[in-house]
Amino acid sequence: MLLLAANRNFFEWVSFFLQNYGSRFLQGALVTLEVSLIGTVIGFIIGLIVGYLRSIPDNPMSSLWKRVILKIGKMISTIYVEVFRGTPMIVQSMIIYYGSTELFGFEMAAFEAAILIVSINTGAYLTEIVRGGIESIDHGQLEAALCVGMTYRQAMLHIILPQAIRHILPALGNEFVINIKDTAVLNVITVNELFLASKTISATHYRYYEVFTITCVIYFIMTFTVTRILRWIEKKMDGRSSFELYHDDLGGALHE
Amino acid sequence: MSNAIIEVNHLEKKFGENTVLKDIHFCVEKGEVVSVIGSSGSGKSTLLRCINLLEIPTSGEILFHGENILKQAQLSSYRTKVGMVFQQFNLFNHMTVLENCMVGQTRVLKRNPKEAEEIAKNYLRKVGMIAYIHAYPRQISGGQKQRVAIARALAMEPEVLLFDEPTSALDPEMVGEVLNVMRDLAHSGLTMVVVTHEMAFARDVSSKVVFMDQGVIAEEGHPDIIFNQPKNERTRQFLTRILHQQ
Repeated sequence: MLLLAANRNFFEWVSFFLQNYGSRFLQGALVTLEVSLIGTVIGFIIGLIVGYLRSIPDNPMSSLWKRVILKIGKMISTIYVEVFRGTPMIVQSMIIYYGSTELFGFEMAAFEAAILIVSINTGAYLTEIVRGGIESIDHGQLEAALCVGMTYRQAMLHIILPQAIRHILPALGNEFVINIKDTAVLNVITVNELFLASKTISATHYRYYEVFTITCVIYFIMTFTVTRILRWIEKKMDGRSSFELYHDDLGGALHE
Repeated sequence: MSNAIIEVNHLEKKFGENTVLKDIHFCVEKGEVVSVIGSSGSGKSTLLRCINLLEIPTSGEILFHGENILKQAQLSSYRTKVGMVFQQFNLFNHMTVLENCMVGQTRVLKRNPKEAEEIAKNYLRKVGMIAYIHAYPRQISGGQKQRVAIARALAMEPEVLLFDEPTSALDPEMVGEVLNVMRDLAHSGLTMVVVTHEMAFARDVSSKVVFMDQGVIAEEGHPDIIFNQPKNERTRQFLTRILHQQ
């Protein structure tokens, strides 16, 4: 048996691992997808909230305490964005996972810690993207919304953000793809995602090349599929390119 | 003065060191159609934008039915009563023509969608855009966009409608359709303030013409007076120049 194993060629090894560890790979891939999907969604929500906060203009007509609170909020958000963008996620995960026990005395499950880390990390990136998206919308849209009596918050919610989100959708998809790949670093806090699963499998048989070729293909299938799905959603959101004329019973068309 | 809907007193607006409006006094009465004319940079658009507080005046007061709106925290209800039509139309790009004319009604005035739709259709009919209610802004022409923008403002049923150079961004052949709509509105008794370069409109349709020059109101009065016997030398120069061009 051992002799046989030693004589296997590349393809035989690949089929050996697929047959014996197929479900392990699949489980790892699922964890990777779960963590990156949930992390991206929560991160997007964080990005929307913080990005919105950072876009609020200083209104000299509102009360002093409101302006002070806004100023402090913006300062905190700047610190958040700079710190999480400026340090590696692998280091952040070590600090948060082990620090939660050290500092606050509660032990976080690796999976929960993973989602927390990916979320706040993604949030920091998406905050700037959301702000950029908001700023990319012509200022006239906001003015028109204000002129029909909307408050700044209403104008954002109903007029600016729906358009901004469409603009940033490619960047959001990109972030999701990055997360699928970058969750590999979470193996340092023992999250059983695809990378750690592969590492464990390969270590058992001392076959790294074959195992990680499989891993590579799985990662690629995931990112490729996600990219296609997002492209499809973008197309959907753009709506139809034609419209139907409305036939009015009461007549009209005064100035044709 | 008792009929005044909007009254502007001692209005001043500075952008940094630059004073754009100096000690403006200005008054709009019910049913009036006021045309504001003057060369570019004379402050006429800024005046209009100060009236609905898109620009915050540096000093002075703006009275709406006698109440100073600069002292009010709630701008929303004031702005529903003072509509605005922009040079660049500013239709909401992600909404159809119909939705553009409904969103203010449902979100701000809290009208129910059914009622809002009827009102929106009614005004879209008035501006001749009823056939296009399912179109998105990118699918219609500039003149059509501006007519929709007018319907959107009208659907809020404002007391005054402000027009900020409504035909300046249009191709020449589309200017007419928008001016026709505005002419009809003027004749229907709507109170309007129109910043414009269309001298024919100012002369024929408005009940009062305001000529602005370098941040002050140089002259104002009935269009016949302003166009035929202007008192101010600068008014005369401006009119000679612009009427020659047109």
